Amino acid sequence: MKSRIKTASSIFMAGVMISAALLSGCSTETASGKTVIEIVQYKPEAVKAFEVLEEKFNATHDDIELVIDSPNDAMTILKTRFVREDYPEIIGIGGDINYSNFLDAEMLMDISDFEGLSDIKESYLKIDKQLEFIPLDGVYAVPYMANAAGVLYNKDIFDENGWKIPETLDEFYKLCEDIQQKGMQPLYFGFRDTWTCLAPWNAIAVDVADAEICSQVNAGLATFSEGYRPVAEITKSLLKYAQPDPVAYSYNDACTAFARGESVMYVIGSYAVPQIKSVNPDINIDSFVFPASNNKEENVLNSGNDLQWSVMAGNEDKKEAIYEVLNFLYEDENIQTYLDDQSAVPCKKGDFELPSMLDGMKPYIENDRMADYQDHHYPAEMAVDAMIQTYLVDNSENATDTFLTKFDNDWARYNRDLIAKVQKFYSEHPEKLTEGGE
Amino acid sequence: MMSKGNKQTRAVNWPVTILLILGCLTIFFPLYMAVMISMKQPSEMTNDISGALSLPAQWSFANFQEAMRVTDFWHSLGNSLLITVATVVLSVVIHGLAGYAIGRSMQKNKIYNIIYMFIVSGMFVPFAILMMPLVKQTAQMGVANRFGVILLYVVFYMPLNVMLYKGFLTNIPLAIEEAARVDGASTWKIYWTIIFPMMKPMHATVAVLTAMSTWNDVMTPLVIMSGTGKNTLPLAQLNFQTQFGTNYNLAFASYILALIPILLFYVICQKQIINGVVNGAVK
Amino acid sequence: MRGDKDRERTFLLITIPVVALFICFNTLPLIKGFIYSFTNFKGYGSYEWVGLRNYADLFTDARVAKSYWFTFKYALLGTILTNVISLVIAMGLNSKIKGKSVLRGIYFIPNVLGGLVIGYIFSFIFTYVLPVIGQSLGIGVLSSSMLSNTSTAWIAIVIVGCWQAIAMNTIIYISGLQTVPEDIYEAGAIDGVTGWRKFKDLTFPLIIPFFGINMVLSMKNFLMVFDQIMALTKGGPSQSTESISYLIYNNGMSGGQFGFQSANAFLFFVVIVVISVVQMTVMNKKEEQL
Repeated sequence: MKSRIKTASSIFMAGVMISAALLSGCSTETASGKTVIEIVQYKPEAVKAFEVLEEKFNATHDDIELVIDSPNDAMTILKTRFVREDYPEIIGIGGDINYSNFLDAEMLMDISDFEGLSDIKESYLKIDKQLEFIPLDGVYAVPYMANAAGVLYNKDIFDENGWKIPETLDEFYKLCEDIQQKGMQPLYFGFRDTWTCLAPWNAIAVDVADAEICSQVNAGLATFSEGYRPVAEITKSLLKYAQPDPVAYSYNDACTAFARGESVMYVIGSYAVPQIKSVNPDINIDSFVFPASNNKEENVLNSGNDLQWSVMAGNEDKKEAIYEVLNFLYEDENIQTYLDDQSAVPCKKGDFELPSMLDGMKPYIENDRMADYQDHHYPAEMAVDAMIQTYLVDNSENATDTFLTKFDNDWARYNRDLIAKVQKFYSEHPEKLTEGGE
Repeated sequence: MMSKGNKQTRAVNWPVTILLILGCLTIFFPLYMAVMISMKQPSEMTNDISGALSLPAQWSFANFQEAMRVTDFWHSLGNSLLITVATVVLSVVIHGLAGYAIGRSMQKNKIYNIIYMFIVSGMFVPFAILMMPLVKQTAQMGVANRFGVILLYVVFYMPLNVMLYKGFLTNIPLAIEEAARVDGASTWKIYWTIIFPMMKPMHATVAVLTAMSTWNDVMTPLVIMSGTGKNTLPLAQLNFQTQFGTNYNLAFASYILALIPILLFYVICQKQIINGVVNGAVK
Repeated sequence: MRGDKDRERTFLLITIPVVALFICFNTLPLIKGFIYSFTNFKGYGSYEWVGLRNYADLFTDARVAKSYWFTFKYALLGTILTNVISLVIAMGLNSKIKGKSVLRGIYFIPNVLGGLVIGYIFSFIFTYVLPVIGQSLGIGVLSSSMLSNTSTAWIAIVIVGCWQAIAMNTIIYISGLQTVPEDIYEAGAIDGVTGWRKFKDLTFPLIIPFFGINMVLSMKNFLMVFDQIMALTKGGPSQSTESISYLIYNNGMSGGQFGFQSANAFLFFVVIVVISVVQMTVMNKKEEQL
């Protein structure tokens, strides 16, 4: 009788196993003896460029198989995969809070012996250093492309009307009013996608807020209520120059509207250009730095690492193949392939053909008058983008106070563990406080 | 019945009929609009209402072809079908057996009462609390794939289905089984030759309820299968949403494609589906 | 008796793997989720035990409070509207009308369609179609997208939720109405009972069990709302339409709050159990009274 139970249950289990094997069998990679290097990169709009690169790499390498995934909503997918402990070899993400978190979770490999690092512009490597919660030895990311955020404008309409690029906040307001008087729409926003609220916010913050404000708040030396007040007020002042009900429209809607000439300017990053061009390939776009300050000297370009490569920890045995892939990606010709498809600023030294829509920003790039996106320091779960959206639709009199108080309170709550950790570290290593970048 | 005859045979209630027909418009309007938009080209989408509702200048299925390509329609459809069919078959087999074993033992054995309550109480567990641990667990077990999703569905629908089967069994008298036992049939054989066929109405109900929930579910495949390159039909809509950009014509063609299979199924098996749903709810 | 032994053995043989499967994919993750709720786990990397801090935070977190407020007002209004409308439709469909079966078939269609795709279709209607109608008719509320306004976005989601849920409840009410014997009305007609009183005193008491089923069913489904949020608003504008499920998914999986949202999920579980138990006791009492 016992044996019957055994046979029956083993048949049951065997059935389960077999069907498991049958079904999962289809999803595992081909076993061909090649080293498979999988890259997950988070810019789905660049999928075409990476398809070209992937094909080119695989055609020239017999021993390595390169797989580049460019999924939509890659950050959610990546984090879900991390929960599953299913890691690709290389991740291509932005230099933002996610990078800081992955680094803090000790998930990335030190790649300071990658020789390609010497070709990377210093300022971009420095940005990554500043993203470390606790100063670390070693290098954990290679910057690939930078982007810049500011104001995109329709050059043809500007030229027809003889408008000049504004250099102070007052000039900018004046320009918007001139545009309105001509019966045109100065700005168009797609605030339904909350993240787009951060585009004007960041561009303004680099001009009128302290670049170190986040770490200063963490150290108890500043408050957002003071530091971010001008940023909040200027961001909100833009609404009177935008289309009615900007929260009803998505990023795609806004790109389409700007592409069709429905608005003359668009406060967004250079990453929007391919999307705009896909709607209207003939549009003549240029850009300028958002002049949030009335002091010309204070206005700097908002630029950060848009795409950088990190190697997941535990891949020491595949290091050679991984560096081979990275070297390939940094070949001038391949960087140009990316640049031709996307409008970006390469982080590698050298002469690259910059997209013409960045003409207005070139002097700032060349003179290194740049500052990183402030939101790269905001924790994702705090959802600052949604807070800004809330603030923008809040028409009550004390909206700014409500918003800034909430900002301060939420900041303390969502960064609690981090603040404690950072303070503990510095109390144990006081010498780092003076030498550290932050 | 008798009373019906001698009462005045009530006339057709025309006002109510007309109101109900008008009410159908609220159901057809979104679907009609979706079909119209999916047939048009972006240039026909003017900003007034006719852009969305008028008939297309020429009937074109180009959007559908493109949408099929972009969303990898046939593969997604295949995955949806595979998951749904496998879940339904496994549910009918496993839950039917479980309902039988537990239902028939409850009176004699207290432990089965506890087991029954234990399984049925699973109905209160929202997916949200299981979601995050399950993502980890299925990955560790190597079933973060279609098979894992099927397995999860079999567990998720177990409480309701076992309850339904157990309830239905109370209508099947034990005497029928006794007769077969006297003839020397094993319990296993009795189940498959006598009980299983008798539970047919309940199988239909379980199949319909399970199939509809499985087919339209987004969340389970979303957390278990995302990033594996495999999509179900609803998941494909979600994943490719951003690629459509503002090309609503293409997007709507894809929506229509996602709706057609279940609509067809409904039109064909309408009676069974409605009966099944009612049975399931009322039991 | 030999047969009895065989029976018991077979039943055991069936029950053990089934229970094992259930424990493995339901009970075990439930317990694991409970354990994670005492950590500051991000979903990856290392984590620490934080005791009851996550639970304490739950009650001070404005975003969580907002999601509960949204979910409950959504579920309440949705349940009421769905039940009222579907009862009216069911009575219509149950009366003497032409094309009865075709109409019944049509009214059930929304139930078979997936919530996500329906959400996308309605999203277009709310953004592009309704505002145009609103403007031409001069209705202020409708002249801009309902989804972009914090005070109307949740109503838009209720509309979509009801559009789908009514189908199911209608069918259940119809089967309830069919159990009401004709002669009850005849007896009532002799006493001169008509209209509203006929419904209140004769019909409704008899379909109370069906009313109970519908209340429990729709309340539960509305409380778990996810697909519609994903398709219509993604929780916006200004986080005013984040349902509990959506918040747990969004912040737990991609927002790095695995531990905290586990606590939230556990609270949600307790809430669901309490609501279900209360609903069932009330319904049972009502039935007993009759």
